[in-house]
Amino acid sequence: MRANQPNFAARVDAALASPTLKTAIDRTTGTAERNRARAVAAWPDFQAARDLGRDIRAHVVNNIDHYLVEFERNALATGAKVHWASTSEDACRIVVEICRAAEAKSVTRSKSMLGEEIGLPHALEAAGITRVETDLAEHIIQLAGDPPSHIVWPALHKTREQVKELFAASHRDPGAMEDVESMVQAARRELRAKFMAADVGISGANFLVADTGAVCTVTNEGNAELTTTPPRVHIVTAGIEKLVPSTTHAMALLRLLVRSATGAELTQYTTFHTGPKQPGDLDGPDEFHIVLVDNGRTNMLADGLAEMLRCIRCGACLNHCVVYRNIGGHAYGGTYPGPMGSVLTPALDGLPAARDLAHACTLNGSCQEVCPVRIPLPTLLRGWRDRSWREGLEPSSVRTALGLWKFVATRPWLYRLATAAAVRGMRLFAKRGWIEAMPLAGGWTRHRGLPAPSGGTFMQQYQAQKRKAR
Amino acid sequence: MSRERILAAARAALGRSGNPDAGAIRAEAARLVAGADRGRPPRSGTLTERFIERLTDPKVGGTVEQVASLSGLPGAVRAYLFTHNLPASIALPPDPALTALDWAGIATHHRIATDEPVAVGLAACGIAESGSLVFHSAPTAPTLHNFLPLHHIVALDTAKLLEWLEDYATGPACGGRAQPRNVNIVTGASGTTDIEGRLVRGAHGPGFLHVVLFAGG
Repeated sequence: MRANQPNFAARVDAALASPTLKTAIDRTTGTAERNRARAVAAWPDFQAARDLGRDIRAHVVNNIDHYLVEFERNALATGAKVHWASTSEDACRIVVEICRAAEAKSVTRSKSMLGEEIGLPHALEAAGITRVETDLAEHIIQLAGDPPSHIVWPALHKTREQVKELFAASHRDPGAMEDVESMVQAARRELRAKFMAADVGISGANFLVADTGAVCTVTNEGNAELTTTPPRVHIVTAGIEKLVPSTTHAMALLRLLVRSATGAELTQYTTFHTGPKQPGDLDGPDEFHIVLVDNGRTNMLADGLAEMLRCIRCGACLNHCVVYRNIGGHAYGGTYPGPMGSVLTPALDGLPAARDLAHACTLNGSCQEVCPVRIPLPTLLRGWRDRSWREGLEPSSVRTALGLWKFVATRPWLYRLATAAAVRGMRLFAKRGWIEAMPLAGGWTRHRGLPAPSGGTFMQQYQAQKRKAR
Repeated sequence: MSRERILAAARAALGRSGNPDAGAIRAEAARLVAGADRGRPPRSGTLTERFIERLTDPKVGGTVEQVASLSGLPGAVRAYLFTHNLPASIALPPDPALTALDWAGIATHHRIATDEPVAVGLAACGIAESGSLVFHSAPTAPTLHNFLPLHHIVALDTAKLLEWLEDYATGPACGGRAQPRNVNIVTGASGTTDIEGRLVRGAHGPGFLHVVLFAGG
């Protein structure tokens, strides 16, 4: 799914100009940040757990060929059918073919970012199959026709007032919806019968357990199991990097995933799905299909992005990113926003189309500090900047400006002169410590104030400190 | 075709010349999780106390009561229905351990309705670390009973409480051909924070989870 404006700067402008977006982002990411901090504070050895998480994921990525074959063998033994897809087109074709063979008219779907990545919603619609998104947030954005704006809370850009309008316009029995509780009840009523009437249920996978052939899903709403249990067919679409050696390894990662995402100890519903209905079972699917999707992952492994394949999609890097919290998810233009998205999108969509994302970062390192599997996100982002420079993708304005900066920065006397002049110049535009407008700073000041320099330049302050120390 | 292409690309990227050494990989995977306390959160109190503390944490949202034995379950259910002003009718899975109990005064049925008010179930085991209940799908334990009711009342034998998530993972019910089609690890009542980050109960699964602990021995 792609945002409307083709160009990153235009999308950022639109996001910053929105009167409600910043508030909406802050409400959800602020809560997530506080809850995560509380969960981490209650676990003195959390850093050791992160080391373990990193080691497990690195071990899987380094042996992904072995684990793919082991998972396939064990999944087949449970009665599952395993499909392999090199590209997103292959994956969508396989899913649509399974749906057609099942003569499916209605498909329920439990939130899966991989599904978004491969364009599955669009492929189902193009095939004339009714798609029912069952995660509350996915339900909201399906009604709104929006792409997701966060990997854990896809509808965090919507305010309660907007949700109420959407439900009132489309639900058969929306009720009065005076508060968030009654909106959730309205969605429960609306989706209940659809869960039971679907011909096929499609889910993603949080983990693929190699030694049992099981697929692990986590939700807080319970929509995954209501999606996968009633229909005749359950289809799982999963990235090949989702493997874990055993259920024990999955448990160690679940502790990290949930704390990092929402601050809870465990999601409300953690389910291991193993094959189709067994003899005598009163419910469950007759067919169980698993589609293993590469879509650029083996290229990432070959291109120095193996560390990114450790990602368990918790969203903590988004919640702690100063850029994400100002511009929201849609401005990034890809399936995955925030720091992890800025590393993934150039790999998935190509660097020429996603060159700007590597620059949408202050390199403050917060994302790396909270990553449960210690992905060096700032380093990987710098890698894309470097590659963009080497491949000549940076526009001439950037090249000229950097050339000028290099000329000044390699002459310390000139650098000090220039920064001292800039500090004095900026103060001329300041009112009560803030700059509302200044030549060359329109890109910043159009949507927010720029703090005026409070002291002198770094070197002036450094010299003053030294004098004091004497 | 895709299968061979993906595996070849992975092997080329990893610089493998022959087949991976499965024994060495398995040994390395086992070593990673071998340290007993590596990557586990702190704990305090007895097993049952820890389970109750986690289950009743506001983030989990469960309620709990204790009875002497499983035969005390119908009485606890009756009191729950009365307190919550619910009809005296419950969905009950066809589990002989449950159907053999004295349900006098309560109508029971096995087929669960789409908007069932109350279902009563029996957990396969519990996990103290997270206050979780574990359900195994079986002919006597349909999966939908854990997800369709608004109120879910669950009996749990305290002798089946486990300390850590890994204790379940390495136990006899997990792995191999014995693994049930669905293992549902249920941690509290259904919730969502999808609208403005506000926690609301009863999104799609049960809005209320009540655990009746009994000493089975």
